[in-house]
Amino acid sequence: MTRPSWRVESGPPRPSTERALAYAPEDGSFALYNDYADGVAVLIPSLRAVSVTEPFPIWSGASAPPDGPHPLGPRTSVSGYGVFTFPYGPISLGVPESGKFDVTTYGERVLNLAPMGGFKSRRIRRAVVGLPIEDAALQVERIAGNFSAAHVAAFLSAAESAEPHEVPTVELWTRGFAQELQRIYNHFHVLARVAEAASQNVGLAQTHALAEEVLRLEGRIFGHRWLFGALLPHGPPRRLDPAHRKEVSTELVRISGEFERLWTLFLESRTFIDRIQSTCPVSRAEAVHWGAVGPTLRASGVPWDDRLRVPVPPYDDLFVALPHVAGGDALARLTVRMEEVRASLLLLEQMIDRWPTSAAASAPNPPVVEGRGIGRTEAPSGDLVYDVTVRSGRVASLEFRSPSVANWPVFALGMRNAVFTDFHFALESFGFAFAETDG
Amino acid sequence: MPSWIEQSIARGILTTRYPHAPASDAEVPLTGRAPGPKDPGTTPRSAIDSCPVGAIAATTVDQGKCIRCARCLARGFAFAGSVESVARARAELKTGPGAVPTAARPVPLAEFGRSLHVFLVDVGSCNACNLEVLGIANPFYDSQRLGIFFTNSPRHADVLLVVGVPTPEMREPVLRAYDAIPAPKAVVAVGACPISGGAFARNPGLVGPLDGILPVDVYVAGCPPTPVAILDAIRAVAGRARPAEEA
Repeated sequence: MTRPSWRVESGPPRPSTERALAYAPEDGSFALYNDYADGVAVLIPSLRAVSVTEPFPIWSGASAPPDGPHPLGPRTSVSGYGVFTFPYGPISLGVPESGKFDVTTYGERVLNLAPMGGFKSRRIRRAVVGLPIEDAALQVERIAGNFSAAHVAAFLSAAESAEPHEVPTVELWTRGFAQELQRIYNHFHVLARVAEAASQNVGLAQTHALAEEVLRLEGRIFGHRWLFGALLPHGPPRRLDPAHRKEVSTELVRISGEFERLWTLFLESRTFIDRIQSTCPVSRAEAVHWGAVGPTLRASGVPWDDRLRVPVPPYDDLFVALPHVAGGDALARLTVRMEEVRASLLLLEQMIDRWPTSAAASAPNPPVVEGRGIGRTEAPSGDLVYDVTVRSGRVASLEFRSPSVANWPVFALGMRNAVFTDFHFALESFGFAFAETDG
Repeated sequence: MPSWIEQSIARGILTTRYPHAPASDAEVPLTGRAPGPKDPGTTPRSAIDSCPVGAIAATTVDQGKCIRCARCLARGFAFAGSVESVARARAELKTGPGAVPTAARPVPLAEFGRSLHVFLVDVGSCNACNLEVLGIANPFYDSQRLGIFFTNSPRHADVLLVVGVPTPEMREPVLRAYDAIPAPKAVVAVGACPISGGAFARNPGLVGPLDGILPVDVYVAGCPPTPVAILDAIRAVAGRARPAEEA
């Protein structure tokens, strides 16, 4: 019998992906240049009062992703004895969203895995052009429902920085509050998904219940379980006065206790740990080279978090813990996420204690009329960047780079040489959303 | 040392009484109820103008268009309507004095037995509806006690749950999934997106409402619908009654 052999050929990395985080305009006035490879981080603290005149790439070619299915990682061709490629998706068992994976294998090991996006594109980038900021925000918060707070916060922050505006402190704190609650929900959700993949059914039910409790808490405070409208001027009424904040605090303490018990049980479950340890490894060098972000990056040993590196209120005034580990595998990513649940609970507690009360803190928002701004925030799955141009009070262009887009290449690379049964552990540990990938 | 068994017992039973009792306020957030004018006969002009999706008309509110953005709240509206905005016909999703009367929940759509197997297809959603649909399996809603099961193959399914606004890329896949489901089968449109396009109704290059490409049997409004409403929608396929009708 002929001995199996195969050859993997990768094309050069797409330049924009390689430098996904390194936005450096010609005049150097912009605050977001950082270079992991050289360990250089050049940051100007103030994001406001920055003028950017030339477009810079968030997506390759400074344009929106193409309509229709397109690859989300490096282009690779594999050939050899018995090698074949099968499509997994766009409607696939176990992945609740529509997206496709082209899996190349000779029977057991995955030789190459190519994630494909573009099935869910609602053409939001084009549709919001010409809309007033408030109407555009209704679509922006629906780019990814489970990351809505981060998307709206980044979008509004970009629009507001188009003109040198003072945004009411209470508004900024509410955005922080909503984002941290949603981060906790998403981290619980990721834990539930990994537990489901590992057939940890009791753990799944318990984690699922905990996630539902966070959703209900969000619904009680903001009137909407997914925070739609919660951060907009005419959204549902918020319940954040002192009495309600005290209630929230009590509820968070209870959730925190439940979470600690659950996570201990998960860590003691050898069968669970076995499934995620050394699954889909992403080395520090790979993470940096491909521009991975968020818990993925921090699980590969790079301590980067927008809440610390590009702090906007309230984060500039609070203690933000920065968990990072060096493992790079699914276990490391999950560990970082669970540490971040603790960090977010601590942030919420600080915010409840020190909620801004002065009258000046809640002055109304002046409308933005003209300009271009960048908004950047740490979404649950990582760094989220918005580039918004406003003309005559209406959105003239909108571009964003979501953490999912930044992380697809390292997922594809990490899956090489894995067995297909690892697919779900690997995929869920990154916390992807095809919704925000396609936009 | 604590164990999973101890943990489960300590946590106790979390499951809702719904549908044997109406949904509680803890289960339904403010925007989980259908909006309507506070004073049922008068719809302020400003409310009609404020609606970004054109759901509000002089005598009706089209729940199938409403994205629950709450802009009308400051203009004489309140979220005080039904938790279950579920209908068998698109026209029945309108509420208010000018709306067609909703038929009492009729007989089952087909000879479905006591259990329904559900297949979820996302044709371009924001992920919130996907997660709410998956949420009905969590211990709070425990869909299995009502005979509702998720299946990973359309071949085993009775009900096709569709979330999201149909994109050109998902048109063919969803039609093929529908064809793969053996008869009798039912299609449930979950949320404003498949019903009317929702927040994306005016976006360029999309396919349009789901009932333009598939026969939709049950509509459930909301953005996203709450798990309670989704449970009711799946129960509507089998002709099961709502709490108020049971009582």
